[in-house]
Amino acid sequence: MPAIVPALVVLGIFYLGYRHYSSYLARRVYGLDAQRATPAHTMRDGVDFIPTNKHVLFGHHFTSVAGAAPIVGPAVAAFWGWGPALLWITLGTVFAAGVHDFGSIVVSVRHRAQSIGTLASDVITRRARTLFLLIIFFLLTLVNAVFAVVISNLLIANPAAVIPIFLQIPLAIGLGQYIYRVRSSALLPSIIGVLVLYLSILLGMAFPLSIEPLTSALGIGERATWVVVLFAYTFVASQLPVWVLLQPRDYINSHQLFIALGIILLGLLVGFDVIQAPVVNDVPPGSKHWFPFLFITIACGAVSGFHSLVSSGTTSKQLAKETDARYVGYMGALGEGSLAVASVLAVTAGAVASTTEWNRLYSSFSAASGGATQNFVEGVAGFANNLGLPVAYGTVFAAVVVVSFAATTMDTGVRLQRYVVQEIGSTLNIRPLTRNIPLATALAVLVPVAMALLPGGGEKGYTFGVLWQLFGTTNQLTAGLALAVIAVWVTKRRRNPVAVLVPLVFLLVMTTWALVINMLEFIGQGQWVLAPLDMIIFVLAIWLIVEAGLALRRAWNDRTSEPEPEAKLDES
Amino acid sequence: MSPDSRAAPLSTRNSWHRVVAAWRRFEAFHDEMFVAPWRQGLEREARRQDDTFRALVMLDALGVENPVAYETMELIPHLVGDLHAWHQRMGQDTFGDPGTCC
Repeated sequence: MPAIVPALVVLGIFYLGYRHYSSYLARRVYGLDAQRATPAHTMRDGVDFIPTNKHVLFGHHFTSVAGAAPIVGPAVAAFWGWGPALLWITLGTVFAAGVHDFGSIVVSVRHRAQSIGTLASDVITRRARTLFLLIIFFLLTLVNAVFAVVISNLLIANPAAVIPIFLQIPLAIGLGQYIYRVRSSALLPSIIGVLVLYLSILLGMAFPLSIEPLTSALGIGERATWVVVLFAYTFVASQLPVWVLLQPRDYINSHQLFIALGIILLGLLVGFDVIQAPVVNDVPPGSKHWFPFLFITIACGAVSGFHSLVSSGTTSKQLAKETDARYVGYMGALGEGSLAVASVLAVTAGAVASTTEWNRLYSSFSAASGGATQNFVEGVAGFANNLGLPVAYGTVFAAVVVVSFAATTMDTGVRLQRYVVQEIGSTLNIRPLTRNIPLATALAVLVPVAMALLPGGGEKGYTFGVLWQLFGTTNQLTAGLALAVIAVWVTKRRRNPVAVLVPLVFLLVMTTWALVINMLEFIGQGQWVLAPLDMIIFVLAIWLIVEAGLALRRAWNDRTSEPEPEAKLDES
Repeated sequence: MSPDSRAAPLSTRNSWHRVVAAWRRFEAFHDEMFVAPWRQGLEREARRQDDTFRALVMLDALGVENPVAYETMELIPHLVGDLHAWHQRMGQDTFGDPGTCC
């Protein structure tokens, strides 16, 4: 089947979801009021709280939530065939991510634009904030570990990407200094910056850099070396002020996101590539069944708790009208879902020319997870080739895009992890942890380094797939916590919470189920690092279920006597 | 000079103006879409540093003894202007005795 067919079907369902379901949520569940003043107006300060045009705010929101995760997860999940992956992305985006992202903005806007962590404490219980911090700690640990492996695998497979990636650092710093010091428009310097980056790919192709000779001479693993180099980089980068390196890199990435999406969609449309993978893959005996593992393999792209942090952290402070939350939040979820669809189609249609070739790439879960990102990169190269770009160039281009996204996520992740370590130090009254930034950063780096270097399954195999699923689990738990906050708020206002409760219950059941199966497997295999980690996350899941259940029961009893009047939506 | 030969440069000039106007519009859109979040980050960092400085200058008002109060006192009038926004940002709806600020 041509890949464009399922792509158009999914986009059509997304359109219907936005047109009808988000309208239902806005009117009946969240009860938006176009006349109510938002914090962007009432707390306007010209820095955080600024009323922003909804199309522009959508752009800010989308570039903040989209990254490497909605690419990697779907590329791994294609192991079970493109049918289950696309089905979960479609249903998850329309009925879970849309509800979650949209709801997080609304609840935050109605609570002085507070973040989801504070809201958990206010709306559920004070204990929920501790739970939130713990979930975030494991989420950040795992995200740093998996992205280190993703980048290492890509740099090993694409030595031509090494020069452009390292050149991006001085390029970002230079562009950053220009924008910092010159107040004029940044359009021309940005175009030049992006052009220089993509021209440097030619330099990278002329001089591919592989560390293999060095590592084999020293007798150490190539992947392990890259992981250590990457964490050394993030150790330094995450201690710099954000405007020196992180923000300029983010800035370049936001341009790359739109360029890459444009190339994928145009290439897909022009090339008419045929899907070579089966609808449902007949997986080898002993492999994990897609139910429930699919739901934790694709978190970003179907529903991701990380979005609630962005929705309640920055987006809610800039919402000009309450009704804009529908466009920004729900559409942001659809945008991420579209990226996930592109990833599935890239690895099932763009990357391979025959079913035999696809079967070889996805012969086992280990092979699928280890090679997923490279398959995506080759898929994008296939689509880019439809537009006339040589495959070799397209491959390096896609690798540069994914590595750029993943590296900035690592920088942000280590930075946030340091804050969490400092907050834990403050709670436990351990002064060196709170005051010594290099020490706190070292602790933030050491745990994910250890995880990324976990033995098992060779250079890029088994461990990555398992770590990815554990990352998905913590991401789903974050989403579960945000959905619990939204459900409690909706229930208290005597509105029907079913639209929020269904994805909440679904996520908690699937996550817990997968955690139990994984735990039994780890214990059976004697994996004494992964088993306790899985068990801790399982305890957090149970804790979340108890807190959510208790909070919902209290909310049911505390409901206001009359439901709030249904407001008219003025979408002008 | 025939009317046709005069019309040609005028139309070229109009086209050029349209191109420049379109470029300016795109620049404005680009700045709002991509550069604004970044500038917002810079302003946030500058404000954070200002807040720290203000807290140090106003230690006495916060109930903490300030060993260099004599030196910092003269700065206080410069900081009163946006005192209200500052204490609200710090999580206090009101500041000190009623009438001091709000």
